Amino acid sequence: MRFLVLIFALFLSACGKAPLVQTKSYVFGTLVDISIDGETEERAHEVTSQILQDFQRLHHQYHAWQSDSELSKLNQSFVAGKTPIEISPELSQMLTQAQTLSKQSQGLFNPSIGGLISTWGFQRDEFTPVEINDAAIQKLVLANPQMSDIVIKGNTVFSTNPAVKLDLGGYAKGYALDLALTQLQKQGVKNALINIGGNIIALGQHGDKPWRVGIQHPRQPKPMATIDLLSGWAIGTSGDYQRYFEQGGNRYCHIIDPRNGYPAQGTQAVTVLLPPSPQAGVLSDVTSKPIFLSLPDQRSNAAKTMGVEHYLVIDGNGNVTLSASMNQRVRWLAKPAKITVQ
Amino acid sequence: MKGALRCGKPLLGDFLVIVVGLIFVAFLFKTLWHNEQAAKLQIRLGDKIYATYSLDQNRNIDIQGPIGITRVVIADGKARFESSPCPNQYCVHQGWLSHKGQAAICLPNQVSLELLGGEKPFDSLNY
Amino acid sequence: MPNSTKNSRIEIHTSPDDHRIAKLAALAIGLHLIEAVLPSPMPGVKPGIANIITLFVLYRFDFATAAWVSLLRVFASSLLIANFLSPTFALSLAGALLSLATLFFAQYLPRRYFSAITLSVLAAFAHMVGQLLVVRFWLIPHAGIAYLIPVFMTAALVFGVVNGLLTNYLLRISPAKFDEDKG
Repeated sequence: MRFLVLIFALFLSACGKAPLVQTKSYVFGTLVDISIDGETEERAHEVTSQILQDFQRLHHQYHAWQSDSELSKLNQSFVAGKTPIEISPELSQMLTQAQTLSKQSQGLFNPSIGGLISTWGFQRDEFTPVEINDAAIQKLVLANPQMSDIVIKGNTVFSTNPAVKLDLGGYAKGYALDLALTQLQKQGVKNALINIGGNIIALGQHGDKPWRVGIQHPRQPKPMATIDLLSGWAIGTSGDYQRYFEQGGNRYCHIIDPRNGYPAQGTQAVTVLLPPSPQAGVLSDVTSKPIFLSLPDQRSNAAKTMGVEHYLVIDGNGNVTLSASMNQRVRWLAKPAKITVQ
Repeated sequence: MKGALRCGKPLLGDFLVIVVGLIFVAFLFKTLWHNEQAAKLQIRLGDKIYATYSLDQNRNIDIQGPIGITRVVIADGKARFESSPCPNQYCVHQGWLSHKGQAAICLPNQVSLELLGGEKPFDSLNY
Repeated sequence: MPNSTKNSRIEIHTSPDDHRIAKLAALAIGLHLIEAVLPSPMPGVKPGIANIITLFVLYRFDFATAAWVSLLRVFASSLLIANFLSPTFALSLAGALLSLATLFFAQYLPRRYFSAITLSVLAAFAHMVGQLLVVRFWLIPHAGIAYLIPVFMTAALVFGVVNGLLTNYLLRISPAKFDEDKG
C-alpha cells in the first residue's frame, strides 16, 4: 500500500512545470514582448531585464532623430563634409551590413533617406498629416542619397554625399532580435520568443509545441492567420496600417520609395519568414521592404533577389499572394477571398 | 471480523491494475491541469457562450437558466457561484475559482463557469 | 397444456431466480437511495456503493443477472427519486451501461490474479467515463470540464478499490448462501 502511495506521489511531483514568463515593455518606441519558457521566474526576469536594457541602449544610441544619439551625430558630420569620424565598432558593423543589403536590393532598401522620411513626418512619435512639399521631395530624390556613398574604413566613416541621412528604422529592430537571440543563447536560455514591434524571433519551443505566431490582418483588428515559428526562425511584416496618415482620401504610410520619394502605394502588407542564420532577425526586418515597394509582377523577383523563400503579400485590394512554401506553413484563421500561390 | 481486510486482500493482478490506474490518473493531472493566472471569466448557458467578463472588477451577474436565476460573483480577481436554484447547491460549494482552466458547473440550471487566461491561439502577434 | 389460457385471470409465473434478482435489486436500490441523500463534496463523485451489489451478483450468479440488477437499480431509483429521463438519469444510465460493458469482458480475467478489486476499479473508471461523456457531449459541451476530469477519475480509482475490497470481503463471508433470503 505504501509503495503505491509513493509511486503516486512521485508522479505528481513530476508535474510541477516551470512557468511561462512574459514581459511586455515599451522600448524602441514600440511594444516589446518577451516570453521565456522553462526557466525559473527569477532567472527569466533577470534575463529579460538584461535584454530590455540592451534594447534601451540600442534605441538611444541609434535613434534617428534625437540629436544626441551616435547616429544623429554621424548624420550631422555627413552634412558638414567629408571628414572621417570615428564610430563604435557596432555601428560600423551595422553600416557595413546595411550597405551589403542595400546593394542586394538594388537600392530599394535604403536607410540613407532619412531626409525623405522626415519630410513625410515619420521621424516623430505620432503621425499626423503633413503638408506635402513636392519641391522638397524632388530635391531630396535628385540628391540621391545611397548607402554606397558611405565609405567605411575600420571604425572611421565619412560620406561623399551630404544628403545621406541615416535612419535605421527598417533595420534596427531586426538587429536587436539577432542580438537578443545571441544573448539568450549565451545565458543558457533554451526557449524564448521575442517580439519587437511585431518583428519576432523564436528560440526553442513553447513547452512541447513550437512557438505559434499570429499574423495581423491589415485592415481588421484581429489576426488573419497563424504560423509556427521554429527555433531560430524570424518573421517580419511591413505594413501600411501601423505608421501612416490619411489625407485627401489617400493613405501615406512610412515606407518610402527612394526612387520617387513617395510612400509606397498598392500594397497593404508583406510578411517574410526567415530560416535560422546569424542575421535572421535583420533579414526579417529588411527584406520585406523591397518586396513591399515592388510592382505586383516584380514581387517574386524581389523576394528571390533578397534570398527570401517564404513570403506573403497582401495587395492594395486585400488579395493575397504567397510563395508555395509559405502557403504550406500558414494556417488561416479567416481565409481571404482570393489567394494566389506562386 | 478480525482479518476482514486481509480476507479481501488484493491479488497480484489487482496491484497491477491499481498501479496502472495511478499512472493514468497522474497522467491526466499532468496533461489537463495548467495552473496559470486567469484573466477572464467565461460564462456559458447551455452550450452557448453567455458572456465573458474580465476578472478585474467586482460585479454580480444574474443568469436566467431553465430552472431559475443563478448569480455569479466576480471579486478580487476570482469568481464563484453565489446562489443558484439547484437542489443540491454543488455549484455554490465549489467556491472561488482563481486559476486559469478552473471550472465550475451548475448542472440543473445549465450554467458553467470557466476561467480563461487570455490564452489566444498563438503566443505572439506579428504585425 | 398451460392452464393459464383457460383461466379468466392472467398469472405471471416467477422463478426462484426472479425472487433473488428482485431482492438483490431492492438492496441495490436501497443503497443507491441512501447514497443519493448523503452529501458529497462534488457533483458526480459518489462512492457508488450500490455497485458492490452488482459485482457481488456477478460473482455469485452470472453476468446476465448482474446486468438486470444494475439496470433495474438505475430505472427504479430514478422513478423513485422522480428524475426519470432527466440529466441525472442519463448520467446514471450511461455510467451503468459502460461499466456493465466493461464487466462483460473483465469477468473473464483469471481469478487467480484478479479479484473483485480489479473489476471494481475497471467498472468504476468505465462508469465515470460514461458520465463524463454525457456531460461533455450533451449537458455542458465545452472544455472547462478538462479541469475536473483528473479529480473525478482519481475518485473513481479510490472508490473502485474500496468497493472492490468490500465486495471481496462480502464474497468471503457469505459463500454460496444465496438460495435463501438475503438479510
